[in-house]
Amino acid sequence: MDPAARLGPAQIDVVAQLAASAVLLGGIYALIAVGLTLIFGIMRVVNFAHGEFLMLGMYLAFFAFTLQGVDPWVMLPVALVIFFGVGLLVYVLVMRGVIQASHNVQIFTTVGLSTALQNVALVLWSGDYQLFRPWHASVVLRAGSTAVNLSQVVAFAVAVLLTAGLFAFMKFSHTGRVMRATAQDRDAATLMGIDPDRVYRLTFAIGIACVGAAGVLVSPLYAAYPQAGLQFVLLAYVVVVLGGLGDMAGAMAGSLIVAAVEVVGSYVFGTAWKEVLYFVLFIAVLVFRPAGLFGQRGAESLGV
Amino acid sequence: MTADRWVAAGLFAAAALTPVVVRDSFILDSLILILLWGALSSAWNVAGGYAGQVSLGHAAFFGIGAYAAALTSVRYQQSPWLGLVVGVALSLVAGGAIGFLSNRLKGPYFALSTIAFAEVLKIVASRWRGFTSGSEGVPVPFRPGLWTMGLSHVQWVYLALVVAILYYLVQVYLERSRVGYQLAGVREDEDAAEALGIPTRRRKVQAVTLSAALTSMCGSLWAQYVGFVDPIHVFSIDLSVRFALNSIIGGIGTALGPFLGSILITSLETYLRATFSGMKAGFGGIYLIIYGVVLILVVRFAPEGLTGIAARLRFRRADAPA
Repeated sequence: MDPAARLGPAQIDVVAQLAASAVLLGGIYALIAVGLTLIFGIMRVVNFAHGEFLMLGMYLAFFAFTLQGVDPWVMLPVALVIFFGVGLLVYVLVMRGVIQASHNVQIFTTVGLSTALQNVALVLWSGDYQLFRPWHASVVLRAGSTAVNLSQVVAFAVAVLLTAGLFAFMKFSHTGRVMRATAQDRDAATLMGIDPDRVYRLTFAIGIACVGAAGVLVSPLYAAYPQAGLQFVLLAYVVVVLGGLGDMAGAMAGSLIVAAVEVVGSYVFGTAWKEVLYFVLFIAVLVFRPAGLFGQRGAESLGV
Repeated sequence: MTADRWVAAGLFAAAALTPVVVRDSFILDSLILILLWGALSSAWNVAGGYAGQVSLGHAAFFGIGAYAAALTSVRYQQSPWLGLVVGVALSLVAGGAIGFLSNRLKGPYFALSTIAFAEVLKIVASRWRGFTSGSEGVPVPFRPGLWTMGLSHVQWVYLALVVAILYYLVQVYLERSRVGYQLAGVREDEDAAEALGIPTRRRKVQAVTLSAALTSMCGSLWAQYVGFVDPIHVFSIDLSVRFALNSIIGGIGTALGPFLGSILITSLETYLRATFSGMKAGFGGIYLIIYGVVLILVVRFAPEGLTGIAARLRFRRADAPA
């Protein structure tokens, strides 16, 4: 290609479209990742079953739509409540007992949970891909030559609102302060009269509510199937490690980076190879900056 | 010999005698799978149990071995034994690389890096259609003969048994040798081990590399035994979890544990599959639900697994007045 022609109008259009897609995708990744990073930041547990709650959110929206005709946008507040409850339940039944246990016990507890949930979905709803199209999935918004889908825009907007809301909650509310205090020093927090068990219960429930809501939001865009969570959660790990495990602002920045890599990568190399790109990015980050792009060095070898 | 060693010797002897008594191919097939899964979990145990490098991406090495053997025999018409050697060589390099790169990482970080590694290989194997046939997979034709690994069920039993005993002995070595004690030191307290002059980083890389090579070897055998290799299965996280699951249920970081776990889990799977096979599709998932629940319960209530429970019972008996 002639270098002088590189910045013609056609190329600017491509860049605008790529940027729009990257930002929209990034917002959704952020909502998935923010729950993961919150659970890690406060509880010091990597939730390997995180993707399965996303998958359950997608199925919830799917069944609400196909059985009752309820739009996923209407389901969203309901899903937040349901998944908050699911989070509480899972915390009490499964997580509470291992919160003080070794890394290995925690890893395999959540891995076991992931296997169990995936296969519950498989047995109940079969392995078929389930996709539905509410009206807004077919509405295309145009700005210049940049085209985006309405479901995507709303999913992005809601994801950003929820993420920002959670961020503000953690930063400014009394409960948020209590949660951060527990994360910083559990013993000192206990001495101040904080009940760590309550904090962890709330943390886990909020994290699961976030990812369940994300599942409802992405349901018009991606098919639901028992392993649907996997592709997203692998991305969420990349996002979360990039941003520094436990760092919520980092998770948002990480989401944008991963989304940009994905969008630009699939444009340059084709969709088939884009995944390789972000896993290579992931390994590179783990190797060179395991505490994340903005994190403190050494956090990974302290095992925190 | 300790009780564990006697149990192992008894189990291997029973496995060796089974084909003499039983010719039923269903039983022999189950036995081969138990031995192969036990060996695979032992290989995982070398890194995950003895060195404390808990990997959730060991399917990567399994897949390398499986593809190496299958492609060598299908594409190049060479002996799968040669493919097995190629697979081991590749896995030594891959295991060394991932072990070296992830050296500083602990706990969940190490597990995440191994998952990412296996995912990269899965994508490469699915997309590189010209070489690997992509996601359709590679069927391995059955060509009778020792050289082409087209063995009878009885021959497979003895081959798997030899591998299982070999892996068992590798683990026994890791329990009793100087290197093994050093690994235990690294696993329990890396800083203290480092202070005592143990080359902790080198030992960790060595353990992961050895574990990778052993996994790859079984992957090659598995591909030839089952006769089919596809990327979605051989590089899956489920497979990596399975390796770990057997070890954890049997007793992580013990030589006997992976085999006890394999006996329990493989028979459970075979039984449930046979029971639910007539029912509607997807019911095969029931045994995986049970896996998941068993895994949660075991790490919660009996993190030392079956061998740990047995040891506790023995101690209690020894303490009791006669």
